[in-house]
Amino acid sequence: MATRCVFENTHEIGVFAALTNSYCLTGVGGSENFYSIFESELSEHIPVIHATIAGCRFVGRTTVGNRRGLLVPNTTNDMELQHLRNSLPDSVVVQRIEERLSALGNIIATNDHVALVHPDTDRETEDVIADVLGVEVFRQTVGGQSLVGSYSKFTNQGGIVHPRTTVEDIEELSSLLQVPLVAGTVNRGSDVLGGGLVVNDWSAFVGLDTTGTEISVIESIFKLSRQGRQQTQSSMVTDMRSSLIDQLS
Amino acid sequence: MAASTNNPAGSTMVKVLCCVCGIPIDPNAANTCASCLASTSDITRGISTEVHLHQCRGCRRWHRGAGKWMGCDLESRELMSLCLANISGLKAKSKADKGVRLVDASWIWTEPHSMRLKVRLAVQKEVQAGTILQQSFLVEFIVRNQQCVDCAAEFRQGTWKSLVQVRQRVGHKRTFLYLEQLILKHGAHRGCLSIEAFKDGMDFYFPDKGKAARFICFLENVVPIKTKCSKKLIGTDDKSNVSNFKYTNLVEICTLCKDDLLYLPAKTARNMGNISQLVLVKNISNLIHFIDPLSGQTASMNAEQYWRDPLRPIITAARSRMTRFVVLGKEPVVLRRNVSKRTTSKKQKSKLAELTLAKEDDLGVNDVQYQDRSHVGYLMKSGDVAAGYDLKQAQFVHDEAEELRQAGKLPDVVVIRKLYGGEKRLWQLKRLDVDVTETALSLKARAAKNQEEADHMDEEDFMQEVEADKEMRQNMNLYKSAVVPQQPKNDEDDDEDDDDQQIRLEELLDALALDAGPDDEMEDAEGEDGNLAPGEYEEGEKAAKDGIKYIDREAARGIKEKDVAVPVTGGTFDKELDFDDL
Repeated sequence: MATRCVFENTHEIGVFAALTNSYCLTGVGGSENFYSIFESELSEHIPVIHATIAGCRFVGRTTVGNRRGLLVPNTTNDMELQHLRNSLPDSVVVQRIEERLSALGNIIATNDHVALVHPDTDRETEDVIADVLGVEVFRQTVGGQSLVGSYSKFTNQGGIVHPRTTVEDIEELSSLLQVPLVAGTVNRGSDVLGGGLVVNDWSAFVGLDTTGTEISVIESIFKLSRQGRQQTQSSMVTDMRSSLIDQLS
Repeated sequence: MAASTNNPAGSTMVKVLCCVCGIPIDPNAANTCASCLASTSDITRGISTEVHLHQCRGCRRWHRGAGKWMGCDLESRELMSLCLANISGLKAKSKADKGVRLVDASWIWTEPHSMRLKVRLAVQKEVQAGTILQQSFLVEFIVRNQQCVDCAAEFRQGTWKSLVQVRQRVGHKRTFLYLEQLILKHGAHRGCLSIEAFKDGMDFYFPDKGKAARFICFLENVVPIKTKCSKKLIGTDDKSNVSNFKYTNLVEICTLCKDDLLYLPAKTARNMGNISQLVLVKNISNLIHFIDPLSGQTASMNAEQYWRDPLRPIITAARSRMTRFVVLGKEPVVLRRNVSKRTTSKKQKSKLAELTLAKEDDLGVNDVQYQDRSHVGYLMKSGDVAAGYDLKQAQFVHDEAEELRQAGKLPDVVVIRKLYGGEKRLWQLKRLDVDVTETALSLKARAAKNQEEADHMDEEDFMQEVEADKEMRQNMNLYKSAVVPQQPKNDEDDDEDDDDQQIRLEELLDALALDAGPDDEMEDAEGEDGNLAPGEYEEGEKAAKDGIKYIDREAARGIKEKDVAVPVTGGTFDKELDFDDL
């Protein structure tokens, strides 16, 4: 199920939250509403942690991570690093990266197996990503955009990419990532997918503006529908919108 | 990917779902299909749908802003242009703001007395790159009455700046009747706010000094006048050194009129080519022309000479003072040459004739006959009726003339003119729109009746004068009257002398709109802005003529205030409607 939520007054919830299969980070908001939404959905399974990076609350854009690790920019101070290490499960490696492009969430998109990075990322960073997150790293663009973290979002189940991506690009990316991909939008037509959407293998959170159509696309491509309804729902979606879903995998 | 399109670059764009309705579309800035965009966006936002227009009730002109007034027909292109100019939000406010593009405008039927105009507009706007929406909506114009400056000036009595008081201190109105015709012919009253008639003259009100000066100038050229100007301070603004004055010009017209009989002072007569002292006023232009009725000698006097020493007539050609004579016989006169230094032009000489006359009243009573020379003798034939002065019966105030008369040294009869047919006149005259003053209104019933009779007599005299004087007619417009016979009579052809003074049918002008009131005439004369008379078109006819769509009464019922926006197919703007080039 995709949950609509809002951080303070913004629908770009991906800026203030980072979600993987083993933990969830949320920024420190004025109220606990935002945190509570995540907590109510996820706390049974994974820790939901308040975090700041360099004293700032846009943790979603500055960090990137998956089940195995979490990468933070070099602006992160020691206190914050220590807090993260303490709060996260022991299995999760937290690593600070010396990367010029410090908004890691914008330049890196990853699931538990593959990561796409901005073409201008350092070689060392690429290595660190591969080591810490245990993924294959590809320098890629999505729909002509270098900020792959902002304009695409994918999990182990599937992925969603910038609406202007060409069919050829989707095919290529899909073969790299080994998951089905679809071009889509969030927040009523916004193409900044990383901003409007946080997702892991079993849950998704979207900005409050997201329409039903968008949610149905997201749910179907990330295979989020509940077990009972999954078949009917997905079959219905595939029937209706078979044209949209890459049948590659 | 079944549904996909090839873009020009060769790569294939995916289709995304419209974020609202879920149909596959090419990705765009809002990732929303055009119809969803159209349903959520209102491109007519910010465009006023209720606009006030101001129309002058007096002259039916429309206020165009900045104090300018424009006359235009209903449903006309000009009015549409005016309407569109008044709609706020239709024009782009800045370069950056592209605004909407007006692609269509049509008139919608409105009840003529509803004081409403309705226009249906269609606008297009690019809501995002590549998506153009078109929307139709209705704009209602509320017509408000507002008096235009000209009408206000005409209406209010206080607004005149310059007054021209034209006066002639005589007991009749013939000069003014003549002046009226001159004014009409030359349109000299243009710019005049109102005209008032008084007992011995008329007042002309003008909005400024210049127009009054022009009018006085005109008067100077047609009659001998004397002007006196005075001004009255209305208000002054010391700061800007501006004062507001009202000017009053008293214009006095010489008391002599056409056909007045004069006994000139000896000195004056000598100065004017040694003319006989007993003269008739032949006609009045900016000069006073005299003629000696017995010899046909002419002389003239200019206004300056006149005002230096005003002459007074011994008989004023008015009402009752003239007697009707019947011509019994005529003898041509052969003037002896070189009889004196008096000169008589050949033209006048040939007109002289010795007439035998009898008073019309005397016919069948007695056999009194008069024999006299007349300068209009050539016109006469036996049986004609002529008007003239019977000096036998007259009593002069002028002592010298009276002595001469009693001594029998003056002619018995001075014939002035021939009188033409008693039947209805073929012609008629236009009249000025003159206000009657309170003094005339406040007269007692009997006095008013007398006044009216006197006016009628003056008019009749004037008409006779006009009939008998070709030169005079050249200065005025004569119109055919309703009683113009089909076949002009030719019974005069057998006359031995051709009567060149008589009115001929071909002299008359055709169109005098009989049903038009005097107000319209004023407007016609003033029509500087060339506005047409409204209401000459059927519903929708003018619109069709001007190439504007017209939604008639039946169709107007189904028109919605605002249609939903629809995407424009092809994604290009239609041609912009341009009413501004008018």
